[in-house]
Amino acid sequence: MSIAVALPRAPGVTEELLAPSPVLTGEDLDAVRRHLVSLLGPLAAELPEGERFVLDAYRLGTALRRPERCLAAEEAFVPSPRTCRRAVGVAALARCLRGRAAGPAEAVDGVLAEAVEDAGGVADPGQAPGPWWGRWYAGLGPGARAVVAAEATTWATQLWTALEWDRLPAPVVAGGRPDHWAVPGGRALALRSRADVRVRAAGRAVLVVVGAGVPDAASRAELLFAALVPALAGSVAAAPGRVVGLWPAAGAVRVVPVDRRALDSATEQVATAVATWVDAVLERRPAGTLTG
Amino acid sequence: MHRRGASAAVSHRSAILGSVPTTTTASPAPLLAGDALVARLRGTPGERPLVDPGLAGGLRDWLEDELSGAVAGLPEEAGPVRISKEAVNGVLVCEAQLVAARAGRPGPTVQLARGSMVDALFRQWVTVGRIDDPVADALEALEVQGDPDGIVAFVGGLAGEERRALAAEVADHTERIRSAWPVLPASWLARTQERMVVPLAGGRVVLSGVVDLALGAPSGGRASVCVVEVKSGRRRVEHRADLHLYALLETLRSGAPPFRVATFYTAGGELDVEPVGRDALLGALHRVVAGTLRLVRLAAGAAPVPTPNPLCGWCPALAGCDPGLARVAETAGAPADGALACR
Repeated sequence: MSIAVALPRAPGVTEELLAPSPVLTGEDLDAVRRHLVSLLGPLAAELPEGERFVLDAYRLGTALRRPERCLAAEEAFVPSPRTCRRAVGVAALARCLRGRAAGPAEAVDGVLAEAVEDAGGVADPGQAPGPWWGRWYAGLGPGARAVVAAEATTWATQLWTALEWDRLPAPVVAGGRPDHWAVPGGRALALRSRADVRVRAAGRAVLVVVGAGVPDAASRAELLFAALVPALAGSVAAAPGRVVGLWPAAGAVRVVPVDRRALDSATEQVATAVATWVDAVLERRPAGTLTG
Repeated sequence: MHRRGASAAVSHRSAILGSVPTTTTASPAPLLAGDALVARLRGTPGERPLVDPGLAGGLRDWLEDELSGAVAGLPEEAGPVRISKEAVNGVLVCEAQLVAARAGRPGPTVQLARGSMVDALFRQWVTVGRIDDPVADALEALEVQGDPDGIVAFVGGLAGEERRALAAEVADHTERIRSAWPVLPASWLARTQERMVVPLAGGRVVLSGVVDLALGAPSGGRASVCVVEVKSGRRRVEHRADLHLYALLETLRSGAPPFRVATFYTAGGELDVEPVGRDALLGALHRVVAGTLRLVRLAAGAAPVPTPNPLCGWCPALAGCDPGLARVAETAGAPADGALACR
């Protein structure tokens, strides 16, 4: 649902985040899981031998908005200030939440400095690897690094000012590990989602997802996808009760309570998206390779 | 799309116009630097006006009323009509000139290169507080963002003398930035290149803008955001209108108008600062409506109407435009100098 959050917005958005979640039972979740397996299992079986497909939020959005683009060969991922601003921004937000920085700008500065240090030590097998963008960033000159810092600072500041953080019950997690669920039987097909902020309110997880641009007809499915994957992967206690979507550029807020009906709707959208992608995978294969 | 009646539109206007407009004019621009510049941008809490919680909704409803009927003439398959400051300025000057300029996008120029490089360096200074090699840093910044205007290759292809002249000019602008702008306090929450998008008429019209610098967080109590645009060219009359458009976008997006808007001219180091009153927002709204109605008409396939203006001498369609040729002849081929070259 769309909400008109009264000014100032941060208290209103925080209220929405902490509002009671709808009821979701273990039976509901089992039914959703069974239904999704019944839809995705046959699609997984259609994938060519050795082919593995992971549906993430980007691919879900592509399939729902521009299904024709699924047919084009996916370009190799190239880091850029825009593609890594969320990763840097979330790490900076975590620093702010832990009180390790006076604000997003200082936090971003710290995150980037640490990444350069980590990148310098990758030759040491005893050292944990740095973030995925670290080596790319470390190889940039000062002008390019400043763009990375600027993009991440703007991203993190928009999120930092969107909520009243001190009202959120601990622990508040910025980012966190992506959620992952593989369709049983072969693991050729999996779903992976992520959230930008995770909190627990009244016994249920609540997620915040930051979007770019303006919310559209596919945005509800994307928000529900962020709830569906952890719900499938865990018990009912792990299933998010609400997802709050923020689109800072548009000043838009969308709140999706997660109940059985919402998860059923997400299931249908996911199945549609996976079917589109599987068709695309099959069509992209050279002629003759599917026989037999 | 629900079309509200004319009476509804009138009521929005009455609601908005009911208060006395706070007419403000740009004050003369003494050179400001350091703490004085900071104080001019942010003022004191007591100077910040209370936010009218109904203002943003009223402005949005007014825009919807004006535009929802116009988009009915758009073809079903047409994408959204995108409304930027450049589009509004261009279409209000001359529809034919805008259409011609869009059809034959010119390549980069030295002025465009300077503007893009100075924008990148301002962003770098505000973000990291350090610029060592202005030209190298700016080109790196443009390249890592994909350089859609082809500035990096253009600068690389300049002859030695031209390149040295551009480097010297960029260095001068950088010095103005360095000497005027202090390190901004963390509490000001500086955002650079912040994008604002406002869909209207069911998404068939999209207002958008990217502000060079935004300071302060939107508040429901007192207006507290300050928006700054950076210009490397000379002053132009539309710069104030650009700021007012950004003020309108920020109001529609966040629900609260900015407290102040400002333009920083890197050539001379001047800072023009203006409080945001209702008249500025209403002026921007009228310009947006007028420009959008024209842009929607063009998007629906109408022939562009030529309007003779001081820029006719630079118009790519001048050769086939009788009113434009007459205008150029009248002014003895001496259009306003440099107006198109500034960024």
